[in-house]
Formats: sequence, structure tokens, C-alpha cells
Amino acid sequence: MSDGLMQGHRENRLLAALPAETFALLGRDLRQVSLAQGASIYEPGAPIDEVYFPQTGLISLLVVTKDGGAIETAIVGREGAVGLHRALGARRSFTRATTQIGGKFSIIRASHFAQIVREDPALRDLIGRYTEVLWAEAQQTAACNAAHDASSRLCRWLLQSADRTASERVPLTQEFLAQMLSLRRTTVTLLAQALQKKGFIKYSRGHIAILDRKGLESAACECYHVTRYDSLPAKIGVKL
Amino acid sequence: MPLYYFHMRDTDTIADVDGTELPHHDAAREHANGVARELMYKSDGLLDESWRHWTMIVHDADGAEVFALPFQDVENGDDDKS
Repeated sequence: MSDGLMQGHRENRLLAALPAETFALLGRDLRQVSLAQGASIYEPGAPIDEVYFPQTGLISLLVVTKDGGAIETAIVGREGAVGLHRALGARRSFTRATTQIGGKFSIIRASHFAQIVREDPALRDLIGRYTEVLWAEAQQTAACNAAHDASSRLCRWLLQSADRTASERVPLTQEFLAQMLSLRRTTVTLLAQALQKKGFIKYSRGHIAILDRKGLESAACECYHVTRYDSLPAKIGVKL
Repeated sequence: MPLYYFHMRDTDTIADVDGTELPHHDAAREHANGVARELMYKSDGLLDESWRHWTMIVHDADGAEVFALPFQDVENGDDDKS
């Protein structure tokens, strides 16, 4: 593997945390791909063929409702991966997974990944621990979607996305954002304008820049702090 | 389809910079109600002003006012997004 490629894979924090020998085993089969925003990763009920480790992009897990709507239940960036549980056996995706922010991803064929995991108890254990954290995040998000107002959820979402891509500039259309939060686009436009008036964000076509992080944090619901990827594992006694 | 803009006003103004294409005024009225319910869900107000001070002012593409919807007239029930 070239140094550049290796460095790319190590942008993902799960991959970066692996012992060198485990990473070397995975490294043979890991590829790097660039995906645009809105790329389909999994559809509900479809077999999981590849495991995705975001380097710079962001993946959204969405529950699809009968009327064709979709609401986000978890966000996965460089701190995590999607499809890991495929290593425990043949699995179908429960949610729709789509790239919410385009970027670079490390991917590996699920069958190869499963084979490596079978021979590596430490990696198997990591999947268990990561899944616990993702499960906690999804529960918090479910509660948030029902219990909190649109503006707090929008702030929570912007902060989560910024943290998980390590960038204070979130490249997104309000249309996409509205879909993620299950709101009308007009609602998102008005709320974003109000947050801009407060000086928390700068909103332009195609992206939102965070100008005042403290302000935005004060306007977000507690779900932002609860689901921070750097503190959630410790909260539930999981070492990641 | 005609374009409608859903601005908000109290002492301050929040502009709907994007607008939304809708078939007719009735659809615009329904959209305005839907947006208002989404905004008010579990929320006391916006920019430190209670909802009863806010009015949604709906404009057409030429900037002419189509109708105004005071937030206090909106039933803030469950968000039945339809």
C-alpha cells in the first residue's frame, strides 16, 4: 500500500485505532473511493456487500417511511463505519444509508472483511463496542426527533456534522437538510436565516459555515452533547 | 408553477430567500400552515420573541403580498406533515 493511500485510510478513526498487524490484514483489501453527496450506500432490505469507513465524507442512516419519506436516525463520519455487523454473518440493511456529505471513503468487500474478523477476536470485539455506541446514538436521535423543536434539532445536526467531518463548513443544500430533519425546506430556510441573524452561522447556497460555535451549542438541544463522538463511548462505559 | 415566498415578520424580518413553487394560493396557504406548525412544534418563539408576535407574510414572485398568517391563528397540534 502506498503511504498516501495508507494515510487516507488512517483518516478514519476506527481504522487508525487498529493495531498495526490487524490494519495490515485489512489494508490488503481496503480501497479508497470518492463519493458525491446523495450516493446510495444501502437500501432497506438489501444485502450488505461492502463496509464503508468514511475518511472525509459523512454517511446518514435513514428510516424510510411508507409514504416515501425518510428520517435520519444516525450520522456516521470519520469516527465510525457502516456495515460492520456484516462480519457477524450475512446481513441485510435495516436503514437506507446515503452519503450526506460527499468525500473520500475507505471500503472493503464484506466477505473479505468477515473473513478477517473471524480470525481476529480483537476486531470482532471492536465491532461489538462500536455497535453499542451507534445504538445509543440512534436512541438519542429517535427521542430528539420527537421531543425537540426544529431549531434545536437543526443546531444539533450542524454541530454533529461539523464534528464528524472535522470542518466548520458544512457543504449542504437546505433541501437535503430538510430531508434529514423531516421538515419542509421553507422551515429550514427560515430557521437558518434566524440563526444567521444571531451571528451563529453564515448561510449561503450550497453550504453553511459555523461562525460562533459556542452560540450554536447554546441553541442546540442537549442531544448534541449526549451524542458527541468523543464522549458518548465513555458515558456508556465503552472504550473505543 | 407560481413561486411563493414565505417571509416572517415581528419587529424584525426573516426573509425566505429561496421561495417554493406551488400550484395555487390554496396550496400556498396549506404550505404556510405546515411551515408554521413545524416552527412552533415544542417551541415558544423565535429570536427571543414569542410566536404571538410573529406573522407569516406570503409574497408572489413579483413581491406582492398574497396573504398574511398570524402565528397565533395557527393550531399548534401534532405536526401532521401532509
